[in-house]
Amino acid sequence: MNTLKVENVSYSYMNASGEQKVLRDVNAEFKAGKMYAIVGESGSGKTTFLSLISALDKLQEGDIKYNDKSLRKIGGSAFRLKYVNIVFQSYNLIKYMTAKENVEIAIDFDNRKVDANKYLKQVGLSEEEGNRLIGKLSGGQQQRVAIARAIASNSPIIVADEPTGNLDEDTEEKIIDLFKDLAHKEKKIVIIVTHSKQVAGHADKILRLRKGKLS
Amino acid sequence: MFRNMLKRSFLSIRRKLGRTIILTLIFFMMANLVLAAITIKTAVAAQMDYAKSTLGGTVTIQADMDAIRESQKEEMEKGANRKEMFKNMVRPAVTVETANKIAEYSEYVKDYSYELSSSANSADLEVVESEDDNRMPGGPGDRMRSESSSESKLDKDITISGISAYAYISGVQNESFKIKDGTYFDEDSTDKAMISYEFAELNSLKVGDKFKIKNVYTEKTVELEVIGIYDNSDERANANAIYMNTETAAKFLSSDDYNDGKYNVSNVNYYMINSEKANEFVEKINADFKELSENKLKIAVDTSEYDAMSGSIESVGSFATTILIIVIVAAIIIITLIVTINVKDRRYEMGVLLSLGAHKRNIIGQIATELLVVGTLGFILASLSGTFLAKGMGQSILESQIASSAQQSERNFGRPGTQMGGSNNGSTLPEMPSDDASNGRNMKQRLAANRTQNVELDINATPIDFLLLFVTGYLVIILALILPSINVLRYQPKEILAGKE
Repeated sequence: MNTLKVENVSYSYMNASGEQKVLRDVNAEFKAGKMYAIVGESGSGKTTFLSLISALDKLQEGDIKYNDKSLRKIGGSAFRLKYVNIVFQSYNLIKYMTAKENVEIAIDFDNRKVDANKYLKQVGLSEEEGNRLIGKLSGGQQQRVAIARAIASNSPIIVADEPTGNLDEDTEEKIIDLFKDLAHKEKKIVIIVTHSKQVAGHADKILRLRKGKLS
Repeated sequence: MFRNMLKRSFLSIRRKLGRTIILTLIFFMMANLVLAAITIKTAVAAQMDYAKSTLGGTVTIQADMDAIRESQKEEMEKGANRKEMFKNMVRPAVTVETANKIAEYSEYVKDYSYELSSSANSADLEVVESEDDNRMPGGPGDRMRSESSSESKLDKDITISGISAYAYISGVQNESFKIKDGTYFDEDSTDKAMISYEFAELNSLKVGDKFKIKNVYTEKTVELEVIGIYDNSDERANANAIYMNTETAAKFLSSDDYNDGKYNVSNVNYYMINSEKANEFVEKINADFKELSENKLKIAVDTSEYDAMSGSIESVGSFATTILIIVIVAAIIIITLIVTINVKDRRYEMGVLLSLGAHKRNIIGQIATELLVVGTLGFILASLSGTFLAKGMGQSILESQIASSAQQSERNFGRPGTQMGGSNNGSTLPEMPSDDASNGRNMKQRLAANRTQNVELDINATPIDFLLLFVTGYLVIILALILPSINVLRYQPKEILAGKE
């Protein structure tokens, strides 16, 4: 079973008032087939934690292991390419491309030949909407494209930062079901950072970050 | 991932049309100038080769004035009478036999010419009166007149001008000397001559008519047939000059001077195959014909025609090189700036790609592909228009260079009366040493200036020019990519995306 382990991870940064500890000796274990919700107040270190487990940032102290292999050994770029896909709060889509072309990036990076429309359809976007440039889509539609891109990649880990923040209730339900399916049916590790109690309520496990400590 | 890189590049090119058009225009303008400069340089190199083969320089056998003056000085120191000395002085000359032998160095000599000239008169013929005293013949009479003690008599003389080939009559090459009626003489045209149309009109002569003239020194009379009537538009030309081959002119010599066909000739010129080998040729003549220097003759090299033409052409070449360097440097700077700004604008896009696991080299590859594709488009468009620009630019620079050298030529050599053509037959005439080599050189430089005015660079881009354009263009792109690539290598996805968040 695929496992992502966070071992004694601490993280701090320097600002005008000196060293600021963001994460303090954090330990966690994420298993395939489960959906996790990470909740916490603003400034609790959620985004930093998300950056570290998705290899967007470099580890300072401690280690993160995927199937007991250190992220330091795997390498940030390779980890992002092979093992993790991220759904950003601000979508992070490429503007000069259509929705379909954005999804195709993830498919191409995996060297697979799959129709991107399949994933767009899963998040409730039609073929016609898939052929629109990103700028021609609403915030909710863009969020769904970002999710489609994440599920289109064959990564065993999906990390999402407030993935339903811009969605209406119906779509939110559908997306949460989708994440649950990814975890339960496709045996992926799904980690969602959220403020939404409703989203967190669907998670198999809720982890709370408070002053840099995970509980 | 590579396939996606190409896909992203093409999408970016297609969707960011404004940027693509601006970049294409920049590449197009740069490539136009580069191709123009390269094409001009190729044309200049070709023209220089052509100039080398057509204006290979001239080697002239002429009186060694320094040696003559030295000899005169020695004679005077020994108490010789100055007047007598000048009266009896014989100008050094080369025999036609030697002139022909030297011409046998075919590895150096493309062609050669010599002259045999004298003065004649006739009781039955009138001479054309000159409007001013500065007229010069394109022939030998005037120099003799100015040097002769019997100036007033010679003023009314006809100039006999025997020339080894019609093409070497002064004015033929720059087309001021043209045949108005009849034809030109050749080596078989014995007792046939060309007269000016002024002389022909004055004496009611036409092609086929015969007339007799008498050498004023040897008093030998020869009957000549008019083979052609010429018009010399050079205002200083002598309308009383009669041109014929040297064999005919030799008939006016006394039997002593004729010397069984080994008579002396003047203005012996050897036209070189390659001007760069002129000095080697001179060394060869000096080694094999020692009697020349013993007879106070020297071999002079004159590459003024080649120098005058190559000077203008080389200036065009240097200008093209300067343009090439400036354009390449400017292109590297401009494209570096554009790409740097472009990379900065696309930080977010790069952050997204990095977050998806793209390698930085893949992102640099995308930027490079975009530039190479747009650059190729610009280069192809420039290939269609660059030759026209090169033609306009090259010819315009060449014309300004020619105008400048023509002005220089006028300032240096524009004095009236300094025309080539002074000659003598070496023994029958009262010879006075004069620096006719200098006159000849000046005339050649004038001729060169005239000839340069007709120079046209054959500017046409060759396949190698196009290849050079593309190689230069791609090198510029690669160099322009260095700085922006360093920027990309410094990017961290979290910093980029955190900035966005």
